[in-house]
Amino acid sequence: MKEGKEKELALSFGEDMVISRTKGRRVFVAANTLIMIILSLSCLYPLWYALCLSISDKAAANSGAVTVWPVGFSLDSYQQIMGDWKFFNSFGISVQRTVLGTIVTIFVLIMFAYPLSKPTSEYKYRDIIMWIVIFCMIFSGGTIPWYITMMKYGLIDKIWGLVLSGGMPVFNLILLVNFYRGIPKELGEAAVVDGADSWTILFRIIVPCSIPVLATIILFTSVGYWNEFFQGLVLSSGDTHYPLQTYIKQMVVNVQTTNLSMDQIEKLDKLSNKSLDAAKVFIAMIPMLVVYPFLQKYFVTGIMLGAVKE
Amino acid sequence: MAKKTISIIMAMLMMAGLLAGCQAEPVDSKSPDNESVVGYNVAVNSEDLPFQKFDEVVEVHIGQSVSATDTLPQGKSVDNNQYTDYLLENYNIKVICDWTAASGNDYEQKVALCIASNTLPDGMAVTRQYMLKAAKSDQLYDIKDLFSQYASPQIKSVMDSTNGRAYEDVTFNDKQVAIPAVEVETGGVQVLNVRQDWLDEYNLKAPETLEDIEKIAQVFLEKKPAGDETIAIAGPDKNGKPYSDFLDAGTTTCGFDLAFSANDAYPGFWLTDESGEVTYGSLSQSTRDTVELMANWYKKGYIDLEMGTRDSTIELINSGAVGMYFGAWWMSGYGTGDAYRNNPDANWQSYPIYTSDKKWNVKMGSTTTGYTIMNKNASEDQVKAMIIMSNALLRDESTFDVSEQPLVFWPIRNLMAPADECEYTYNELIKVLNGETKPEDYAKELSAYKLLADDTSVVKETVPGYEKGKQLTVQDFSMENFGNFQRMYSLLIGDRPYSTTPVEKKVYSAVYSQTETMESKWSNLKSMEEEVMMKIITGKSDISEFDSFVQKWKAEGGDDITKEVKEIM
Amino acid sequence: MRQSKRKSRTMLSYHIMISAGMLWLIFFNIVPMFGIVMAFQDFNPGLGFLHSKFVGLGNFEYLFSMSDSRRVIANTFIIAVSKLILNVVVPLTFALLLNEVGNLKFKKAVQTVVYLPHFLSWVILASVLLQIFSLKGSINGLLSVFGIEGKIWFSEDVYFRNLVIGSDVWKEFGFNAVIYLAALTGISPELYEAAAIDGCGKLKSIWHITLPGIAGTVVLLSVLGLGNVLNAGFDQVFNLYSPLVYSTGDILDTWVFRMGLVDVQFSLATTAGLFKSVISFILVVTSYLVAYKVADYKVF
Repeated sequence: MKEGKEKELALSFGEDMVISRTKGRRVFVAANTLIMIILSLSCLYPLWYALCLSISDKAAANSGAVTVWPVGFSLDSYQQIMGDWKFFNSFGISVQRTVLGTIVTIFVLIMFAYPLSKPTSEYKYRDIIMWIVIFCMIFSGGTIPWYITMMKYGLIDKIWGLVLSGGMPVFNLILLVNFYRGIPKELGEAAVVDGADSWTILFRIIVPCSIPVLATIILFTSVGYWNEFFQGLVLSSGDTHYPLQTYIKQMVVNVQTTNLSMDQIEKLDKLSNKSLDAAKVFIAMIPMLVVYPFLQKYFVTGIMLGAVKE
Repeated sequence: MAKKTISIIMAMLMMAGLLAGCQAEPVDSKSPDNESVVGYNVAVNSEDLPFQKFDEVVEVHIGQSVSATDTLPQGKSVDNNQYTDYLLENYNIKVICDWTAASGNDYEQKVALCIASNTLPDGMAVTRQYMLKAAKSDQLYDIKDLFSQYASPQIKSVMDSTNGRAYEDVTFNDKQVAIPAVEVETGGVQVLNVRQDWLDEYNLKAPETLEDIEKIAQVFLEKKPAGDETIAIAGPDKNGKPYSDFLDAGTTTCGFDLAFSANDAYPGFWLTDESGEVTYGSLSQSTRDTVELMANWYKKGYIDLEMGTRDSTIELINSGAVGMYFGAWWMSGYGTGDAYRNNPDANWQSYPIYTSDKKWNVKMGSTTTGYTIMNKNASEDQVKAMIIMSNALLRDESTFDVSEQPLVFWPIRNLMAPADECEYTYNELIKVLNGETKPEDYAKELSAYKLLADDTSVVKETVPGYEKGKQLTVQDFSMENFGNFQRMYSLLIGDRPYSTTPVEKKVYSAVYSQTETMESKWSNLKSMEEEVMMKIITGKSDISEFDSFVQKWKAEGGDDITKEVKEIM
Repeated sequence: MRQSKRKSRTMLSYHIMISAGMLWLIFFNIVPMFGIVMAFQDFNPGLGFLHSKFVGLGNFEYLFSMSDSRRVIANTFIIAVSKLILNVVVPLTFALLLNEVGNLKFKKAVQTVVYLPHFLSWVILASVLLQIFSLKGSINGLLSVFGIEGKIWFSEDVYFRNLVIGSDVWKEFGFNAVIYLAALTGISPELYEAAAIDGCGKLKSIWHITLPGIAGTVVLLSVLGLGNVLNAGFDQVFNLYSPLVYSTGDILDTWVFRMGLVDVQFSLATTAGLFKSVISFILVVTSYLVAYKVADYKVF
């Protein structure tokens, strides 16, 4: 870790030595900084907006009066959520799904990618399997046959349904395969001479070298699991089995106003509460915001530790 | 006609007997109620099929739509609440809820998946296209015989109040494939709602014709009574449409159906003329003229410039910025409650709009709005049980305490309302307010007009400012019980036009469901139509696009479909 | 002898490593593919997949005879290709620019902030965007300073497509940059030091060291992106569009959704889905072969 930081420092230091004195460089740095600030602000705004909405007065939020600052401060929405056991139930399901799903995915991918990273000469089925995988990434039977299959497996209302039913994450697999392929062969070969078998090579040498890409995949996977809502809807028999995003999604009600029945009419009044919706969205984002910084450090400083480069 | 229907209903109610009335008003147990008790005793007897109790528990699996905003008390669930208890106790029907989903898109996706995967629960409530799809795939139980035996007289009288339309809607290849939900007739009728307080401020008369609306819009736009935000006429939002079509159950919210019919145009409907020729109303010259007029209004800024893209027009109305909009009878009360919470003086009044020769033409919606379908593989007892559930709902609906456990949790709620329920109620309410009748007189009249007793009992306290002969204003109402306020406002203001104004012409669509070719081609034609109309009105396309739309519509299957509709007629 | 025994043991290990993933693939990706048969049937759920009537290519013929479908395919293609290109160029440029930031704290702060939109679902983002771009929204407020007339941007079919592309790139660039940043960190600093000593300028070292260093990642992501070339973003378009902008905004997925789950035309929806898959597959295979034949680079 420490080594990584030093390299990073050396990197920026080295640049500065050469060009920092030129005028062009200074203009560039200023412009660059400005661009970065504008981009950052534009990205912060939706989050800020959700927060403002969630702590604004219900009437103000619904009338669209909230833009840059909260209007009519009120914590009603959060209070209401605290009393909503279904919300926390769904929150729990989502946490379970994300943790379980990420672990399973990473574990499967670590193993699956390794033989596929070998050339055909070393693992002759490699190309066939690869093409099957690509085929599966692109083709699907559509929602309906997929639903029928999951039902036949008995995966309705099961946490494993939420974990597995999306299928193999092919994109991440290919990412990992390519990363493995970039790892210098000498590392493995040295170990073979020492008498290590392929399991040892994989888990003792390859995996430690792949921390950055694994961190990336963990992030992709967990965000994917956390944000997925459609499977949650289709594979659940009711809102007590919904993962969080599905639960939130059903809050954002879109009523077709031409086809109202009497009971919907009676409820129209209660339907819209943007402030409450925003509060739920905001809470749903928190876990991801908490996890990200921990993974982030691997992207920045996680250079292939101790690996021999080309 | 209406009178005759009512008398039939009343007679049937007497015959069937009403325990419900007796439960609700035990004080009032005079002779009719004694009869009711007798009636109930008969009901327990297995001879009375519509309310029979099964000897053994019958399990019924259902799919249920729930609303995210309605909740049950802790410990209760969709298949364990006062309604399921009631069904089990009285009829030995055990309801098991296979799945639930939020009403609207989520629920419809579940229904579509059930049909596609051929895993229908024993019963569920669906919209028309899903019923037809399932019927066409031969997935539905033919309930014709069982329905005629087991449906209660009240249900049948409601069905009959539609002149056979209700039966027609659920008949597929001579089979009865569903119990329809029958909607009040006025649900398809549009009225103009206008801020009377604004009219008064500028000494304007209530609008009667399209020209009046235009003049008023002009004044609203100039004077800006709600400040810069003022919008003279609200339009449909992003979930709305400029007019309803023959597949929609009710009229549009903030669409322009009434403006069209004031020009004798009925877009979206299949029209038959005297010679039996069928045309599609959207293609007519009068539709073209009205679209052009709307485009003109939009251009002048009378109509909300953000129509078609707003998240919710109802929120806009609630915020107090709008001067006029078109909507169903319930919009001014149920639909826009927050408008009065935000501004208790917002005096919304509903009016009909006449043609230039002072006639009121009404575009009528479809009679049935929802369908309870049953799985072909359900057992006979299960089907009977579901019919009995509908009977029980209609008879006993008003006897439940809905404050903690709302009625939406009734398993497969199938709404049944006599076609003229709102108008009948309006007239009776006025009688009560005038002192011609007393609320107590209605206590025994529960069933078919199931809410009449409730309505008449609260009308006086909800409308304390009533004076005979004076047009009611919002200040005449009490908002203390907001639910009552909304209902009374909807009935007495929103349904006033349809209850009191003679109608020149009721226009029905020749069909209210899809023909065979429509099943494959309609969605294409429909989206083409929606797009063209919206674009012309909002000035993004010229009115000449209308003519090329007509050509294209005919060429891409419209002509074939018209032929099919004619054949059905 | 011992070598071959060793080799077969390695083989066995490989097979075992593959097995878990293969099972997942078979049971959850491959088995549901039986539904593709619907594209060639007049699917009747009551009869099921086995007994529904086969109509050959009838569904395809009908699909292409609709005036809608050509337009939808064109929209999908334009939106998806633009996204594909910009979602490589923009995040890459951003990653390079960010790499130039000297102040580590600032760099980290920026990086932490720009990924934020990625976590917001389109349902939420769409409602925010529609408001910002509405008649009284802040964009029009900003433009009025320059005397530009206000519009409801998302209901103008001229702008809709660009707004969809732009908002998607904006939502994802921070997150996509993560991959490029990871690749950038894989480039050995010694190379830059050596270049600096040789007197290489900034741009030159980017051209000669940085870009080649991450070329593999860029090509890989582009080729994989081709597989998504007809995924123009259902969630996004669905939440932003209206009939006013169907002419430029309706894409295959929104159309399939309306066909399948709203208009209950199961077969037609599957047909459109299959069409999409086939095109995507052809594109991926072609680009794979080009990369392999021309650059001798095996993408996967």
